[in-house]
Amino acid sequence: MKPTRSDQVASFLRCFAVQGSWNYRSLVAGGLANAMLPLLRRVYAGDPVRLRAAVERHLEPFNGHPYLCPMAVTALARLEHDGESPERIDRFRSALRAPLGAVGDELVWATWRPFCLLLSITLFWLWGRPWVAVGVFLLAYNLGHIWLRAWSFRRGWTEGIGVGKALRDPPWARVVPWITSLNLLLIGSAVVLVSWLVAPDTLSRWGVALALAAAALLGYARPALGERLAAGLVLAAPVLLVLLGA
Amino acid sequence: MSELDLSLGLLAALVACGAALGLDAASWPQVMISRPIVAATFGGALLGDAASGFLVGAVLELLGLGHTPYGAAVYPETGPAGLLAGAGLAASGGTDIGPLLVAVASGWAIGWIGAISVRMQRRLNERLLAGGGLAAPAKRLERRHRLAMVLDALRAGTLTAAFAVPVMLLVKLADGVSMIEGVVVASALLLVGMGLAGGVGVGVMRRRATDPLLLLAGGAIALAMIVTGR
Repeated sequence: MKPTRSDQVASFLRCFAVQGSWNYRSLVAGGLANAMLPLLRRVYAGDPVRLRAAVERHLEPFNGHPYLCPMAVTALARLEHDGESPERIDRFRSALRAPLGAVGDELVWATWRPFCLLLSITLFWLWGRPWVAVGVFLLAYNLGHIWLRAWSFRRGWTEGIGVGKALRDPPWARVVPWITSLNLLLIGSAVVLVSWLVAPDTLSRWGVALALAAAALLGYARPALGERLAAGLVLAAPVLLVLLGA
Repeated sequence: MSELDLSLGLLAALVACGAALGLDAASWPQVMISRPIVAATFGGALLGDAASGFLVGAVLELLGLGHTPYGAAVYPETGPAGLLAGAGLAASGGTDIGPLLVAVASGWAIGWIGAISVRMQRRLNERLLAGGGLAAPAKRLERRHRLAMVLDALRAGTLTAAFAVPVMLLVKLADGVSMIEGVVVASALLLVGMGLAGGVGVGVMRRRATDPLLLLAGGAIALAMIVTGR
């Protein structure tokens, strides 16, 4: 039986908790199967044996970006609805893991989220109003976030086994490089702006600028070293403060 | 140094907030109220100074630029950490560099302690989903999935409860103590740390020959904004 509108709404809402039972064995599979349940119950209405087999199938390890998992939820439910063989569903499921993770990570974690955060920090520096900056961040970020979940949920059902096409040529493909470039500018400016806000007047301003530039280039050239060094400095700073001040 | 005024009601509010922020990071609904700039602003607002909270959140945000939740990566848990850092700085009554440094370091350390607790929670989820057979897999799955989320909120709430008072006391201790010489060196360390983290963050996003130039150009634009008074 085809899932109804209310089944789809229930499934979509459950997608927000897709990482609720994330674990190192089956990864996001528990959340994926949980989000598929309203759809599977309709597809296998009156057939508890096949429902059980489908749930067990989708509890096998799976991973993907949480905002693109709705695409897996509906595409897999579509295959179940279309009566595809378990072997074909398993193969499709395995093939979906890597692109859903890679596309989502690049779009959301490496592009959209930093952009909204850095924009918010810049707005705070300009206006000094924390709630405006926080509000702009939450609004802008979640407009993109919820749109992406809804888009992937819809496309998963309509494309079914052909979702690869939607992922190969997504609507954001042309915008991402521009936002990435903007992010690089925003990181440079946010580091300087926040440093100016927190640096005591006793420090030489130009010295701060030079130190920031040198440190940023070192962090870029040697990220592993830069990461460890940054963490060490942040933790050492208050200790040194107390030692020198005592 | 003024007294630290932390009522039981305020502590309960912090713990409830910490639980909700911890839940948001991965379990539900991932609307990013768990980011340091939001969590620390909440923490600052609860203690009466949202702007101080935002500032410490912005520093933590920049420090964490290189830590992205790709796959099964381990990264600092920013919700409770940001909340307590923001609350700590606001409780100290200002944005002096001493309390700020302690608040940032506390937030950073709690973030990594939180990361360890998240790992433990995820190990527990393994057993939760695997145990008990699959006699009625659909219903069992729904129950256990919900239980995993409740445990995640409890974990984050416990983390917040455990560190709320120590963080505020530590930040408060740094307030008003005379440490002129220490301030210059220690704050320079923080700034260099932020610069390093910014560079790492750029490296995470893309690797093109022009990346460092864009980074430096952004810094130069900000400098020009500062020099010309915005």
